[in-house]
Amino acid sequence: MKTPGKFKRLALILALFSFLISAVSCSPFLNRFNEKPDGADSFFAGKSKNDTVRIVSGSENKVLEPIIEDFTKKSGIGVSITYMGSLDIMRLLEADTIPYDAVWPASGLWISVGDQKHRIKHQASTSTTPVIFGIKKSVAEELGFTNGKDVYVKDILKAIQDEKLRFTMTSATQSNSGASAYIGFLYALLGSPEHISVEDLHKTDLQNQVRSLLAGVERSSGSSNWLKDLYLAGDYDAMVNYEALIIDANVRLEEEGREPMYAVYPVDGMMIADSPLGFVSDNGEKNRDEKTAEENFQKLQDYLLTPEAQERIEASGRRTGLNEVNPKFDKVFRQDWGIRKDALISTINMPRQDVLFEALNLYQREFKKPGFNIFVLDFSGSMQGSGYDELIEALGELMIDEKAKANFLQTSDEEINFFIPFATDVQPFLQAKGNAELEALYEKIKAYTPNGGTALYEALDEALAIMEEADLSAYSPSIVLMTDGQPNGDMNFKDFNRRYLDLNKDIPVFTILFGQAKEDEMGRIAQVSRAKVFDGKENLTRAFRSVRGYN
Amino acid sequence: MANKSTKTMFIGLGILLAVILLAVGYFFWQQNKAEELELSGYVGGEKINFLDNPEVQKILQKDYGFRLDISKAGSLDMVQADDLDGRDFLWPSSQTALELYESLHGRPKKEENIFNTPIVLYSREYVAKGLVKAGIVEKREDVYWVDMPKLVQAMKDNKKWSDLGLERLHGSLAVHTTDPAKSNSGNMFSGLTANMLADNQLADENNIQKVLPELENIFAKIGYMETSSSNLFNLFLSTGMGNKPIVAGYENQLLELSKMEPDTWERAKGDIVIMYPEPTVWSSHILIALNDRGARLIEALQDERLQKIAWEEHGFRTGMYGNQVSDHDFDVPGVAEEITRIIQMPNYKTMRQIIKSFS
Repeated sequence: MKTPGKFKRLALILALFSFLISAVSCSPFLNRFNEKPDGADSFFAGKSKNDTVRIVSGSENKVLEPIIEDFTKKSGIGVSITYMGSLDIMRLLEADTIPYDAVWPASGLWISVGDQKHRIKHQASTSTTPVIFGIKKSVAEELGFTNGKDVYVKDILKAIQDEKLRFTMTSATQSNSGASAYIGFLYALLGSPEHISVEDLHKTDLQNQVRSLLAGVERSSGSSNWLKDLYLAGDYDAMVNYEALIIDANVRLEEEGREPMYAVYPVDGMMIADSPLGFVSDNGEKNRDEKTAEENFQKLQDYLLTPEAQERIEASGRRTGLNEVNPKFDKVFRQDWGIRKDALISTINMPRQDVLFEALNLYQREFKKPGFNIFVLDFSGSMQGSGYDELIEALGELMIDEKAKANFLQTSDEEINFFIPFATDVQPFLQAKGNAELEALYEKIKAYTPNGGTALYEALDEALAIMEEADLSAYSPSIVLMTDGQPNGDMNFKDFNRRYLDLNKDIPVFTILFGQAKEDEMGRIAQVSRAKVFDGKENLTRAFRSVRGYN
Repeated sequence: MANKSTKTMFIGLGILLAVILLAVGYFFWQQNKAEELELSGYVGGEKINFLDNPEVQKILQKDYGFRLDISKAGSLDMVQADDLDGRDFLWPSSQTALELYESLHGRPKKEENIFNTPIVLYSREYVAKGLVKAGIVEKREDVYWVDMPKLVQAMKDNKKWSDLGLERLHGSLAVHTTDPAKSNSGNMFSGLTANMLADNQLADENNIQKVLPELENIFAKIGYMETSSSNLFNLFLSTGMGNKPIVAGYENQLLELSKMEPDTWERAKGDIVIMYPEPTVWSSHILIALNDRGARLIEALQDERLQKIAWEEHGFRTGMYGNQVSDHDFDVPGVAEEITRIIQMPNYKTMRQIIKSFS
């Protein structure tokens, strides 16, 4: 009669085993993708991509990735984040299908403008941070911005107009911080009126002033965290960005023994980002398990709003709760950097929607420094098929005015675009000024047939030669290399590097990749020119639009 | 042997019985499950927390068999939405929204006022005290009362904060509201303001043309307007005094916050104040049933237990609760016991003109 005992033991062992197995399989195997040296534009924590909360977020939340990883560790729920500018998120919300479970833009404004179909639920702010000016401390001192006197936006604008301040900002038509700065400028240039009307925007005097002001923008960027990276990689005097990212940049600057920025809060105000995280219901995907997605989302949101997580978020330089800073974090919100700890940060009133949109359209079409872009297009044999199709489709988003307009990516009348197609040889370039000429070129480019080798560096060399001859003082230059292939011409990276450094102009060389591209090498091109490599394999159009944010 | 076989038999019977019980249980569970109705509807943001309350969901589910699938939308937005197919109900926050619905779609299946809350102003101690000094606000006992004719006059005169002695604030005196063309709290505040501009009488078809330009000027100062009352209230809390010194909202929003987020409230308590406009307007949270299913929800929401939760946890004054608030247990100073000076909203035709001027 020993059998029952044996069974009991066996059962116990089995139970123990199954417990162990489940424990092991539940423990999250953390993984991070896309940690490329050029700065990732996506993030993933979790076991597999199946049971994941997919978030599309402003890049300013990148700093919070460790907190998200801890959530994944504790809950077993994966989280993936795709970063893009808040205005791009707004435009995404207008689409029928949104391939995400949640949105996390910098400001709720862009949700309420974009979410016409009322699909965003459970919207809650995870932290706040004001948009401010970070100015290199010595420069700020020289300009008299550090002595506690009130600083108005117009004071800062004057310094820019007098060429005492070279500053960077994000694209006003892609990123919340850029939009907010731009609207702040408009108020200031109009003499701080009660409100802005569409008529105000068309005053010649204002238009001239805005144009000359934006001509002082050194480099633009499609999203706020990328702007911070750009500031760190380059040598600029100032940037308009979130208080949280200026704190973050200052930490790095001090680590590198460089001069930190001084935070300047104009009394007539910018804007406060409230970082709302919201669930996308009815997102248009056919096979989505919305109930599970919603439950997972709520667990994530609840976690981020726990006092513990909120404290960690605050430790990263964001404000939580009532916008005041907990004295515990005095070492983060440092007074010697000009960081203010009180809650009394004045803000502008965003204009009404029709005025706001008109302002954004004018920015793109009329105000910003016109682009001087050279597109270097790979038509080698390996581009046949999907590579060619994607390239042509993406160019359509930019070159066909109607499409470009929908994305606030219109070409201004002054903008100059070059196209250098290449395969075994570099083809003669095509050139267009303004949008009518640009649209006319589209059919010509479509007519190229992919065939032959990849004279990539030869084509880049041609692009640099054009840049060398051009007077770029009134333009925002960029080179965009669209390629899938491995270079196999006579010239190599060293040739490019030498030529680029000799040229000594601040010209970003972006790459949009498809197929089996040599990522390392393209990464080096981006590094040298403080630009980025975008992966066009998944969504070329979006990558392309990100590139456009830089000019 | 006999013993063993008997034992085996009993075990077999036991298993059989268990299987039968399970099957029966499953059957009934399935029956129950089949009876559960999922109702879909648009709800004004200020009522989301009430409907998300687990206790409310339990009562609706257990006793009425309802599970709600709700989307947040502005009161005026939802009645004008073009995707009402497949929805069972709309739950806006005013008579005006109901009338707008009726003008577009005709009489609904059924409609009923579920509970009420007055329109109030939220601000900070610094602002309230300054406005008391400026003679626009009066503190009687513990309650701040806003002299609406005076406040509206000051806004009409384009007074700056600094003109009123509030030096720490930049720009013009303004009350931030939601978009009067889309969301109810802003809509009601625009109606109230229109009344004040019509010499403190009810604004109507005869005087609205004179009132509109002044009304537009007052609202233009606040620029972009949120479309949801809860978003506006949350922004008021989280972005600080410099961003939104005064906002218009529902009384229940702060009462609810004190219950739902006691920690936040503990930090905010010394600074955040309710100010009651005199006169003010009542927001009626009327549920519009689009079909029989929605009509059944109206009955359910009148359940005494739900009405009690609505007041005690979420601060909505109902027919049964919240009328005499002297004995309320909200940890909120300055809650008015009784609100007697009420003005009607302008009639629907007049409100339609106001809405039109904002859209």
